[in-house]
Amino acid sequence: MSLLAFLIVCAAGAAIGLVDGDSGPASGRVGRLAGLGGLLAAMLAALFIDSTTRLSFADVTLAGSEYSGRFLACAAGSGLVLSLVALASGWSDRLAPAALASFAGLAVAVTAVDPGVALAAAAAATTAGAIVLGREVAGSDSDGRLAEMRTIGLVAAVFLGASLALSHPAWNGPSASPAFVLGFCGLGIGLAVRSGAVPFHVPAVRMGLSGGRFSPALLLVWIPAGLGIVTISWSATTFGMRSDWLDAAVAAAQVVAVATIVLGALAALVHDELEEIVTYSIVADAGFVLLALAARNEAAAEPARMWLLAFIAAKTGLVAWAAAVSRAFGTSKLGRLHGWLRRTPLLGLALLAVVIATLGWPGSPVSEARSTLVQLALPGGLQFVLPAAIILSLAYTGRLLIVGLLSPATEVAAARGEMPHWGSRAAATPEPASADETGAAAGNKAAATATGTDSGPSNASVSLPAATGGPNATSRLLQRLASVWQLNRTLEASLAVVVGASVAVAIAFGGFGTSDASQFGIPLDTAARATPTPPPPPTLAVTPTPEPTLAPHSTALPTNSPGPSQSAGPSTSAAPVKTAVPVHGPGN
Amino acid sequence: MIQTAAIAALAAVIGGVVAVSVRDSRLVALGLLLALVASPLASSPEPSALAICFRAVGALLATYLLWASARSQSIASEGSGIGAVAEIAAVGAAFAVGWFAVPVKPLAGPAAAQAAGVALVALAVVPLTGRNVLQVGTGATLLVVGISLLLQAWAGPPTSAQQIALTVLLVGLVGATSLLIAPAQQLSIAVESAAKATAATAATAATAATAVEAPEVVEVEPSPVDLPAVVVATPVRTIGIRASTKRTRRTSIPAPASPADQADTSGAAADVAPAAPDEPAAPVPAPEVPAAPRQRFAPGSPRERRLHPRDPRR
Repeated sequence: MSLLAFLIVCAAGAAIGLVDGDSGPASGRVGRLAGLGGLLAAMLAALFIDSTTRLSFADVTLAGSEYSGRFLACAAGSGLVLSLVALASGWSDRLAPAALASFAGLAVAVTAVDPGVALAAAAAATTAGAIVLGREVAGSDSDGRLAEMRTIGLVAAVFLGASLALSHPAWNGPSASPAFVLGFCGLGIGLAVRSGAVPFHVPAVRMGLSGGRFSPALLLVWIPAGLGIVTISWSATTFGMRSDWLDAAVAAAQVVAVATIVLGALAALVHDELEEIVTYSIVADAGFVLLALAARNEAAAEPARMWLLAFIAAKTGLVAWAAAVSRAFGTSKLGRLHGWLRRTPLLGLALLAVVIATLGWPGSPVSEARSTLVQLALPGGLQFVLPAAIILSLAYTGRLLIVGLLSPATEVAAARGEMPHWGSRAAATPEPASADETGAAAGNKAAATATGTDSGPSNASVSLPAATGGPNATSRLLQRLASVWQLNRTLEASLAVVVGASVAVAIAFGGFGTSDASQFGIPLDTAARATPTPPPPPTLAVTPTPEPTLAPHSTALPTNSPGPSQSAGPSTSAAPVKTAVPVHGPGN
Repeated sequence: MIQTAAIAALAAVIGGVVAVSVRDSRLVALGLLLALVASPLASSPEPSALAICFRAVGALLATYLLWASARSQSIASEGSGIGAVAEIAAVGAAFAVGWFAVPVKPLAGPAAAQAAGVALVALAVVPLTGRNVLQVGTGATLLVVGISLLLQAWAGPPTSAQQIALTVLLVGLVGATSLLIAPAQQLSIAVESAAKATAATAATAATAATAVEAPEVVEVEPSPVDLPAVVVATPVRTIGIRASTKRTRRTSIPAPASPADQADTSGAAADVAPAAPDEPAAPVPAPEVPAAPRQRFAPGSPRERRLHPRDPRR
């Protein structure tokens, strides 16, 4: 029931948000309510999804798990936090509907028991990324849209092609391994393209810049995380076979992952735009998901799941932080943000929390997850990636903090900080008020919020009606509250970012049951295990084993049999099984 | 005996060829509709009626999204990247390869589905390399349809859950195309309002014109930079105007017209004279017509016929 509620809420919220967002600039309130309410309701519904959740109609079966629920709740909660930040720092009409639409697709993907359904649903979730680019970029260059269209098409094609390979048709050849190599390459390429891994990082950054300041959360965090969950289900089972071509493909995935982690962090270190820093930071940390795919080890599944939860929460917090800073000071250029930390200390605290949630502490679940993934996926010569990633992450974060401690730049000095304002100083400091805030002070709230866009740094004071007694006391109180809301946008955005970063820290340290839930997979893991792995190529053994094998041959399936892809259907148990304990390296 | 699967596979391929070859967005949507509706039928055994209806409704929704977006924004595709004939030849070759190749033995579905799948995958390659969002979206959609046909041929008929997921994916893909094409291609499209104004002017003039003598028909191509052109009715009598569609070949944004062309068209624009429906056109001084805004040539631009009276000395 909770899964059905989640799907209904997501579909309804996305539809209402899209329709209301398209109906004109003055009618966005319903869309905002639908977006925020939809994300809140989706998060609550996802919290009730567990291993007993089951949704069946006709031959369609969706089964929940502990991890599916936590994953969807984490994603919806991150979307809610980001929408709250957007509410205080420049609403985006398309963010909440796009997030809800993609969450609906991801919900089907992480609860489906049929690999074909899961992969198609994950690809369908990717198409929701077009929503945030549909209107935001009017007037800008079309390269972002073209890149997004190509990304969507590529992901849809390779995921559907991977399902072709994973459906185990009766190949007319000596071995089925070429098909599995293509399937592995398809999943890897789809994941790399969508998450902006290094060969594809330029389109990803362009899309992030074109789609507005909140779009990287959807395009580079939430959707790739969902794709990663689906992808790593086959890493240790189907792709665990040994083949020269598959080993070559895995080596390529390792190279891409290492390059993404190192070069992405380096790019975040040298760029001067906040959006670019955030985007490259996300890209760098997405490399760990590629490592999970390349590990081909059952022990890598649990840390990969743990890392994905922390990745969603921490990187969403980083996107929210960048948006709040840009809004507070009216610029995103690092050179003009000198002294930002002095004016907005809460945002500095949030940035520290985001770093802690990303890197963790020695012994914390997220730190162990990163360490385990590197140890399992990379040979000994490439183990330097983990300390390099930590050092580079600390470097670009330290750069941001040092810039924030410098003497305030002009824009920073002129902007209003996080100090709360109640409007009492209006008469004493008659600063020129912007049209936005003047409209709010006059009670014309519609005029104040009609634009739905960022109004820039707020450095004005307004005269507020006194909330004294009388027949219109209630309306005056409401006007005053609305005006106070308008006056303290920076503080509100900072508080929302702090809340999001705090939740990210809690998740990274195993809070909210994420550590326990990561031990269990999604129903697709069970289906992947039920899929027979192709037998290894026969070797010329000197001493043949006398015992006959009882394992059925994978190509001996009858033509009309339901096939391995349906072997985990409703009749079989779709309950996820606990994976092996991750192998920790020496010193852990 | 001709099987339904073979007909459906052929229809899907024809729809794909139409979708990638034409420039009119309505025909692109029509071709996609044909491919999307026909592809689930190329299966053996045929899917249930409910699944077929679901796929059909999804196809209608997807193509409606594309059609509505393209109509409101006057979007045009770039058409075939290699020419329609080469497109058809390549598709035919790929269809033959898919018909006779045996990558999976025995096939779980009809060979026609495999052939159509290979043909659509081959057809989608060129559009995917283009720089037109509508073209890329069309190619991506055909690629997914082709892979789904291969799934039907190699892994057997999809389950209802797979049909639903595939329908949602296709609707999302075409919907994403319709969202992303919107503001980008305004430089390469016809301006809808200008075209409507031209058509209305042409219709009025056509009603008013009367043939007095055997006219000499002169076809005039308007300059690319001067759409909408204005109908001429001076001493030169107009007996009929036909608005048709003429497109430049593989060029959505042609080079600006020469100064001579501009002078010709601007001179003609100053010669407009209203004419009563039942009266011969009188040589009335033409009122001043504001110059049309400079616009680029695009698909859907009208072509005029100006009729000149025969020279009495001849």
